[in-house]
Amino acid sequence: MNDSTNLERRYRRLLKLYPGRYRAEHEQEMVSVLMDAAPEGQQRPRLADSANLVLNGLWMRLRAGRGWENVHHPRLWLMVRLLSGMWLLILTFVLCGFGRWWGLVLVPVALFHFHRALRIGRVIEGDGGDGGSPPLTRA
Amino acid sequence: MSKPRAMQEATFLILTALAAGPQHGYGIISDVEQISKRRVRMRAGTLYTALDRLREDGLIQVDREEVVDSRLRRYYRLTPEGGDRLADEAARLRANARVAMSRLDLSDGVAKA
Repeated sequence: MNDSTNLERRYRRLLKLYPGRYRAEHEQEMVSVLMDAAPEGQQRPRLADSANLVLNGLWMRLRAGRGWENVHHPRLWLMVRLLSGMWLLILTFVLCGFGRWWGLVLVPVALFHFHRALRIGRVIEGDGGDGGSPPLTRA
Repeated sequence: MSKPRAMQEATFLILTALAAGPQHGYGIISDVEQISKRRVRMRAGTLYTALDRLREDGLIQVDREEVVDSRLRRYYRLTPEGGDRLADEAARLRANARVAMSRLDLSDGVAKA
């Protein structure tokens, strides 16, 4: 197997992190860009490029998931988000109560769940919501 | 509509790259590097996340597709709204830069006096 086929195969493996629907539309052109940018003879994706694909792929997946949540069973997802957030806060209190202060790292995760619950709540109320606008473009 | 926020540099550079005409992904990356005098080297993941958002916001759209050496190339172009946003942002940056320049000249004058 030659270098470019090896490299392409590895890029495609990384692109699997992107949501299926996004990949169906963009995988071919992204592979073209990645291969165009790769110097002759390169066999493996560079670490920085891999990390960039992983972060952006996961970000896209998160965004896709948000839209999905708003459309399919939003009330169920609202409950899941609220309960997850509350459970994490309770867990934080318990951990801190036992002197495990690292439990505080769970607070932002709980807040994220509440934030999502708020968004879904707005969608249920019927004033739209944007399905998640990205604060992150650099990665 | 609420007042648009200041544009991220990556977004500004992508829109600037497309201002001269439609380009495909690698063309945009190369152009951005050239416009920024090799300071910004955009990676594919970053580029496509940005393109996705710009399409969603209606600032760019797909122009055409070509297959070259069995590789798909999708060309993007600015929409009229994208052109307007870029023009607004360029004007904002120029106004800020002008104030900075004039103040620097002034402080030079004071220093020399």
